[in-house]
This record gives sequence, structure tokens and C-alpha cells, in this order.
Amino acid sequence: MKFATLQRLLVFLLLAFAAVDVRAASLAEVIDTTQPKMVKIYGAGGFNRLEAYQSGFLISAEGHIATAWSYVLDTDYITVTLNDGRRFEAKLLGADPRLELAVLKIEATELPYFDLNAATTADSGTRVLAFSNLFGVATGDEPASVQHGVVAVKTQLDARRGVFETPYRGSVYVLDAMTNNPGAAGGALINQRGELVAMLGKELRSAQNNIWLNYALPIEELRGSVSQILEGKFRPTTDVPKLKPDESIDLAALGLVLIPDVLERTPPYVDLVRGGSAAATAGLRPDDLIVFVGENLVHSCQGFRDELAHIERSTPLKLVLMRGQELVEVEVPAAERDLP
Amino acid sequence: MSRPFRKSWIARLLFAVAVWSLTTHVRAADQPLVELEEQAIKAAVERVTPSVVRIETVGGLERVGELLVGTGPTTGLVVDSEGYIISSAFNFAQKPDSILVTLPSGKRQAAQLVSTDRSRLLVLLKVETDEPLAPAEAAPQSEVRVGQWAIAVGRTFEAERPNASVGIISAKDRIWSKSLQTDAKISPNNYGGPLVDIRGRVLGVLVPMSPQETEEVAGVEWYDSGIGFAVPLETVLRNLPRMKEGKDLHTGLLGVSFKASDLNAKVAEIAVAAPTGPAFKAGFRKGDRIVEVAGQAVERHAQLKHAMGPLYAGENVRVVALRGDERIDREVTLAEKIDPYVTPFLGILPMRPVGKTEEGDAKGVAIRYVYPDSPAAKAGLQAGDLVQSIAGTKVTTPAQLREQLQPLAPGESVAIEALRGEQALLVNAELATLPESVPDELPPAYDSAALAAAEGAKPATGLVPIKLPEFENACQALVPDDFRADVPHGLVIWLHAPGGSKDEELVALWKPLCEKYDFILLAPKSANATRWQPTELGFVRRAADAVVKTYSIDPTRIAVHGHQAGATMAYLFGVTNIDLVRAVAAVDSPLPRLSQLPQPDPVNRQAFYTTQATKSEQSAAVEAGIDRLRALKYPVVVQPIGEQARYLTAEELNGLMRWLDSLDRI
Repeated sequence: MKFATLQRLLVFLLLAFAAVDVRAASLAEVIDTTQPKMVKIYGAGGFNRLEAYQSGFLISAEGHIATAWSYVLDTDYITVTLNDGRRFEAKLLGADPRLELAVLKIEATELPYFDLNAATTADSGTRVLAFSNLFGVATGDEPASVQHGVVAVKTQLDARRGVFETPYRGSVYVLDAMTNNPGAAGGALINQRGELVAMLGKELRSAQNNIWLNYALPIEELRGSVSQILEGKFRPTTDVPKLKPDESIDLAALGLVLIPDVLERTPPYVDLVRGGSAAATAGLRPDDLIVFVGENLVHSCQGFRDELAHIERSTPLKLVLMRGQELVEVEVPAAERDLP
Repeated sequence: MSRPFRKSWIARLLFAVAVWSLTTHVRAADQPLVELEEQAIKAAVERVTPSVVRIETVGGLERVGELLVGTGPTTGLVVDSEGYIISSAFNFAQKPDSILVTLPSGKRQAAQLVSTDRSRLLVLLKVETDEPLAPAEAAPQSEVRVGQWAIAVGRTFEAERPNASVGIISAKDRIWSKSLQTDAKISPNNYGGPLVDIRGRVLGVLVPMSPQETEEVAGVEWYDSGIGFAVPLETVLRNLPRMKEGKDLHTGLLGVSFKASDLNAKVAEIAVAAPTGPAFKAGFRKGDRIVEVAGQAVERHAQLKHAMGPLYAGENVRVVALRGDERIDREVTLAEKIDPYVTPFLGILPMRPVGKTEEGDAKGVAIRYVYPDSPAAKAGLQAGDLVQSIAGTKVTTPAQLREQLQPLAPGESVAIEALRGEQALLVNAELATLPESVPDELPPAYDSAALAAAEGAKPATGLVPIKLPEFENACQALVPDDFRADVPHGLVIWLHAPGGSKDEELVALWKPLCEKYDFILLAPKSANATRWQPTELGFVRRAADAVVKTYSIDPTRIAVHGHQAGATMAYLFGVTNIDLVRAVAAVDSPLPRLSQLPQPDPVNRQAFYTTQATKSEQSAAVEAGIDRLRALKYPVVVQPIGEQARYLTAEELNGLMRWLDSLDRI
């Protein structure tokens, strides 16, 4: 009995002590187990304010590294520094410029790594930690910098065509922390349990409101390309995919004349609809204000022309017009549009 | 198995179980802590989501000031079920042609801009819809504590779901008690959206703001920096009825200013109560000391700004001030704007009292000169007449005469009693504005017969070094040889062009002018002969103060005159020393782009003189400066100097001196 009491007391004491700093310990543990999976990458650059470094993380025990595809990797001499300070020459296994993704390989074994298949997802409000060597603050065996924040929203970059200068057209996590800085691209985004969520993107400024965007690419978007590269099926390529179709719609083909484009942001009011044209058939009228092309808001005559330039000639054209205070939807079918 | 062994085995098992349960228990205690917070944050966002709408605009300006405005979606907050939506004025700074609101159902609807709150930088929109709308619930301001969770919500990335940023309340009563401050990331991605507490109740509406500036784009440079502002929703809802009526709200102004620019300084006496402002109309005057505004005791300047900050134009506010021992307690209706003060002009130059006659000769103010076509000329006044009263008030000195006219506006009529020899005159003059021309040759400014024989020690004359040990700059004053302290002298502060100035040339040019027009010339030198630094303004002020103290300088005739970069300095010196400088004369330099020019001041009158060349590179900039000054109702004399910029000819310089001689005009 005496012994049992002692045991209980011991257990109670342990519990009491353990409860004190549980949260700090767990967060610290998560960071401690993540840091050895982070790497610093050095390559081309170092001039014109282009930094010659970026971040990456290990995705296999044999030294496979996921990172961002960038000019830094555009050299035969890529070096990787592990968290413990060891330096390796790295080989570029492959890259998928559409995803701004590259996979490197160093000759090492028994390394700690993130299992991409175990990666998880997040949504608005998920608290996250970002690991990267932003601004090249860490060197040698110094651990990567850790930032905290939440996922502001998961959004599609392709829904905002022309807004961001990136070929990437998939979903991203927008973050409320200032993560996307020089050198941070390729860093890891994890949740509070230490599970990999995303890879930090590059520096990107929104053309819509001129502010910097902090974003990360979900692992689920990258997984397929990574395994293709690992299997050797993906050919290393640096070709950036084409953003515009060969044959696009233009105003003349529609039979539409807009008001003279004299201001920097002339609102796209219809001036004239040619008789018998596709626009006339679809029911457009003079003085209609074109507000949407498909799901995209247009702000000006120029914006309208830019939108048309992104649409293949053979697809139907959906427009939303403002007629007085009414919003009117019209569809211009492809067949009727191709008038001689 | 012996008993003791078994016991110890059971104990070990128990211990193992205990340790296992301990770790799971720790997990259980650990996870909820992090995850409950995360869940609460997500729930708060979800709760406010139905009230957060996406706004898109079509057309409008590309730039507002120097800021390139975006075209991306912005955010609004539903404030009642009738379709009223509040947003940040920043989102509409480009004055769009059309506004589209995406309602919670996903349907887009055209919206009208109903009104703007120019003080808190908000706009009210209205959409016509049958769709039921969910107005946001306001968190009581009395419960808000610094350090509590604050979640910023926008709807700019996705129409279907909001974007969130998490932080805390950093401060309350910021921007002169108009807003909350948060360290959540505030940017065009959520301007116009709500800042909510951990329960999803709305603390405030997110807006860019700056403590110093008031434009709708002010404070945008702080985006995503951890410094963000939100106008309390409670305040917004209180003012909603007025905004629904389509009335724009403006910052409420008292129309008074103070000498101290230091916000921590004790509230000093009112330095200026604009005659066009509501405080003056309510009976407050220069010299009164404000002690209470809107029920709040006011001791320091910042407290006054905090008490005034939340108030709108049109609102009544109780103001209490002390005038000596008298307590003045009035209701003031705050104004939207204070019309610039325009100095009234009667059209005379007074004879300057000399010697000890000031108190003795109490009969009136002798007229030295009557401006042709001026109100005085039209009323029939002549040089030599003695003005005895203005609007029934007896005047014996030029200063008293000026003070009597001060609260009057051009266009107003004023009765003047005067004496011409033995003949009494009663005339009415309709006041005009100050002339923008250089007067012709002027008669003497004082009666030399009234001067007593010079007596006592004379201060140093000629080229006198002014020594200011704490500055490395050299400085000299040119004092006329016939200087005497009982004759009022004016002061010209001469700021040389880059390259400095030579003493012999300075004396040769200015000595005759100073003697003729009763002026002392002060010639400070820049520390580096090739350029002036704005930091040297303090040195110039100290040098001027030293001369004013040593020689009896007439405060109505202190001017700063400069050439090229010296003229830029002259402008800067003039507008930052309105208590000293009455005129700025600039040659070959435009008015620098100051962020703010002082409003014309009834007491500290200022006038400007500038040269204008028709084909100089600076012509357009000079013209713009003249326009800026005239828009504020400052009198500006423009001296044409031909095609190319150059310094003044001897004749023009004489004209400038005549103008400076006439600065004591009334």
C-alpha cells in the first residue's frame, strides 16, 4: 500500500510538472524535428539585387530535396548546406516550371525528411509555421528562420489571370505572415502538429492592388510532378508554358465598337454594334457597359481587349453587361462569331 | 512468483500505465490549447462571413495622388438589413464609374455610393435587393481590451469564402480617438472588412489611416506591417442615420490655432481665432485658454486633439475657456471648413510714431500716404489726415487701428472719424483686399522735426558681425550709419545664392537702400558656401532674434529675401516663422513643395514677392507656387524680369524696398 501511494504521488507530481510548459515544449519539439529537414541552397545570382540563395527541404532519406524552380538553380554548381552544416554539391534532377518546382539530389543517406505522402491540407484560419532561409540570415549549421501566422485563404491563382506574373495556375495558400522574401522560396510550411502543408513560393506582387502576396504551394499540387521527376519520367525543362491561345477573339470579329479609349481607364462602354454581327445576335446594345468576361471583371477598354486575347476563338463568349442599373448576361456563340 | 515480486511487478505495471496515461493526458491537454484557439478563430470568421461582401469597381482614375490604385476586388460590411453596406473610402478613392456588390447568395448587384465619412474615411453603399441580408453584430467598445484576439476579415481572393488574418488589439483610441489599432495584417486585401473578436462580433471596420494626414490614401504605406486601424462599428452605427440621408460627414473644426506645435505642450492661449471660424463667432478670442471640450478636461494640446478628433462638423460641442479669471462657457457648432482669412485693406500707410510721442500724442493716427483707388481714397481721406476712431472705437496708434480692422472682412463697410486740420470728418469706407503691386515713390514715414537730439550710447553701426557661438555659420548685419533707436527700422534677412556673397559688394549694393528706407540688412551665410541646408533655418532664426533684440526693429516690416537656393530657404524660413516674418521676397526660385502651407493668419500677416521669367526652366513651377499662395488668399506681388531668370536690377531692387517700406499698410 505504502508503495502504491508513493507511486501515485510520483505520478501526480509528474503530471503537475508536465502541465506547466506543455504548449511551449510541443511547439519547440515540432520546430526541433522540422529543422533537420530544412536545407539552404546556393547557386547563380548575386548581382542586380538577385540573391544567389534560396531554401529547400528534404523529401527522402537519400537526399532528395524539393525547392522552388528559379534562376538560382540555373547553374552547374548548386550547393546545399544541411541543418547540421554539412555541405554537398547538388544535382538538378528535374523541374516543373509550371509549378515553379524543382527537385535536387545530394549524395547522402539516413537523412531526416518530410514524407510527401503524409503531407496534409489547411484552410482559412489554420495556424502555420514557415521555415526558410529568408534574406540568407542563416549560414552553415545555423537553423532556418521560423515565422508563425495563419492561412488567410486558399485561393486559385489562375482565377486571377494577368494579376500575378507567374506561370503557376493552381491553388495556393495565402498567408498572413511576411514569409515571401528574398531567399525564402522553397521553404516549408507546416501546421502546429509538424505536418507538411505547402512549399513557400517566390516574391509576388499583385497587379490588382499593388501589394506583395505571401503564398505557399500546396503539397497536393506538387506531389504528382515530384514523383514523376523521381521516377525519371519528367524531362528537365525550362520551357515556360504559353499563356495565350494562338487564335483569340478580337473586337472586329464580334462586330463591336467601344467608345474611344482616351483615358487610362476608359470604362468599356459599347459605342456601336454592327448590324448582323455576332454581338448584335447576342443582343448587345450601344451604351451597355461590359463588366464581366466570364468570371473576370473588366475595368477598362484595354482590360476588355486583354481578356479577349486570352480566349480561344472557338469557345463561346460569356459577357455580363450593365444596362442602366441592371446586370444583363449574354452569350456570344462561337460559330456565329466567325463572320468573314 | 513470490508476493513481493508480484507486488513490485504490479507496481511497475501501474507505473507504466500511469506514465502512458500521463503522456496521453498531456497530449489531450496540449492539443485543445492550440487547436481550440484555432477552432475558435475559424468559428469567429465563419460567424461574420454572411455580413462580409465582395465589392468590385469599374472605371475611375488610375492614380490618386502619387499612389497607383488597384483594380482588384475589395470588401464591405453589411450594416443593416435594408441593403446598406459600409466600406473603406480607400476602396473608392479612384472614383469608379460603377460599383458591383456580390451578395451572400453569389448574385452580383449594382450599388450606389450614398455618402462618405471624410473624418473616419468610410463610405456607405446601398444595394437594391430582396435578398435577406445579415447585418454584422457590434462588439461593445466598453468590453474591448488591449491584447485580446482580433481577426481581420476580407473577401478579396475568393468570392465564396473570406480571407482572414489573426492578431491582437494593439491599442484603443488611436488617430485622435477615432480608431482601434491591431497587429493583424491589414491591407487592400481587407480594407472595408470587419475586425472581429474571438466570438465573431465586429470590433471595427478596417481602414488605412495616418495620425498626420487625412486623405483617403493616407496610411496605406503601413499595409501588412503590423500597424492597422479599424473604426469601431458602434461609432459607425451611431452615425448611420445621418449617412443614410446622403450627407457626407466631415471633421468638425473650431477655427482656432495655437502657437505650440508640440503636442505635449500645455494648451496655450488661442493664438488665432479665425474671424470666419465658429469659435470666434461663439465669442472666443485670441488669448483665451481652452480648459474643457465636450466635457473632457483639457490640459495638453494632445488632449484637445483627442477631445476634438471624434467630432463631426455640424455637431454642437461645449467649450470652456478662461479669459483672465473670467470663465467663458459656450456651445460651438463645429464647421466643416474655415474660409481662409483675408486681411482687410483700408488703403493707407500710417505715419510711424517716433521718439517718445507714442503715449503723448493721443489725438489719432496720422496718414502718411493714401493708396490711389483704395477704400480710403474713395472715402475722401488724404495724407495728413488724423484718423481718430474706427467703428466708434478710439484709436491712437497704427497697431490699434490694425487691430480694430482685423476681424472685419473685405467688402464690409466701416465708419471712420478723422481730423483734417481743425475740420472733423466722418466717412464710410468699404474695405478691400491688400494690393499686389509695388507703390510709387512714398513720402517720409515719420516727422523728423519731432525727433529729439540723439542722446546716449549708440549701438554698433556699419557691417556688424553677429556672433552665435553654438553655430559654425558666419553672420553679419549691415546697420545704417545714421541709425538711431527712436526711429523704427525694418529688417531684411538676405539669404545668398549658392556661392556665397562678398562683403564689399554687399555693402555697396545695400548700404544706400538701408539708409534710404530705414532698414537693417541681416546677412547669414550658409556653413557650406555652395549650398543651404534646411537644418540651418534654426541658425537664421537665432541670428534674426539677436538683431531684433539689439536694434528696435519694427515688427510689421521684417522680411526674408533670397536668390535661387537662398530664395527656397527664404520661403521655408518665412512659412515656418510666421510669428516673425511678414514678407518673403523670392528671386529665381519657385515655392518649394511644402506638404502644408500655413493658413493666412489675422495677427501674423504675411505677403509674398516673386520674380517671374517667361522662358526660364522654373517658369511653370514659379507660376504653380503663385497659384498655390493666391488660392490661400495670400497677397503676391509678381515682378516680371523678362525671358531668362536673373537677379533684380537697381531699379527693381528700389521697387522691392518701397514694397517692404509699405508693409505696415492698413
